[in-house]
Amino acid sequence: MSVASLARDAHGEVDQLYIETRELRLQGFLLFLVSDCVLFSSFIFAYLYLRNSGQGWPPPGIQRLDVAFAAWNSVVLFGSGATMHYALENFKHGKFMRYIWFLLATIVLGAGFLGGQVYEYNHLIFGEHVTWWGSGIFGASFFTLTGMHGLHVFLGVCYLTVLVLQSAAGVYTRGKFFGITAGTLYWHFVDVIWVVLFSIFYLL
Amino acid sequence: MNAAIVERLGAVIAGIVVAVVAFYALYKDWNASGTENQVFKLMLFLLGIGAILALLAGLNVIGFSPAKGA
Repeated sequence: MSVASLARDAHGEVDQLYIETRELRLQGFLLFLVSDCVLFSSFIFAYLYLRNSGQGWPPPGIQRLDVAFAAWNSVVLFGSGATMHYALENFKHGKFMRYIWFLLATIVLGAGFLGGQVYEYNHLIFGEHVTWWGSGIFGASFFTLTGMHGLHVFLGVCYLTVLVLQSAAGVYTRGKFFGITAGTLYWHFVDVIWVVLFSIFYLL
Repeated sequence: MNAAIVERLGAVIAGIVVAVVAFYALYKDWNASGTENQVFKLMLFLLGIGAILALLAGLNVIGFSPAKGA
């Protein structure tokens, strides 16, 4: 057996293995997203319970959150969900450079959202003196939930950056790209969680 | 033009764009089958809803804004 045929056999075996395990990987990743959803849900329901058990909301001495900046920042994150979706679509259709540009746009928009969150934290902590530790239930629940979501966005930005590097190195092919699918699912997940957080903190 | 108006304008314009893109992508993928595509469809729908909420907040239809001078 020649070295070339050995390589071909090995390659074929990996591809077969990939096809067989792809569904399992997908189910495992969806299970991870469901578990993350449970984590967020528990904090969200705790917040809603505490909010409704008090004497009015927000507690005395704390202003309601202004929706204008949050709406703009939310749209930045939702826009990144759209660009991520088209990144995956372009990869599936073999348009590699368009895929890279959409992926980079997603990273920039995700980083922009994080920058907006830092700006808002800065305004709340130093401008309105609302803190995680000193503003009762309101501060604790707001900073815990939005901070946990921000951490997810940050990890997502890191993951997407790794995807760009891996894609440039030729790790993914048109028949083998579960990493990109998982990245898209994860990014949509952080978008959807923000829809809920935006609604309960700024719109209710 | 103050910052709040610029933010609202940005939220309205970008909200329309994102909602249209999300629902168009959902429309295009409507007949796609398989687990991941079903999840993508659900998430695109929620993304579109989120964009509409941000758009309505930008238009001051929902949400809270401080009174002038407050």
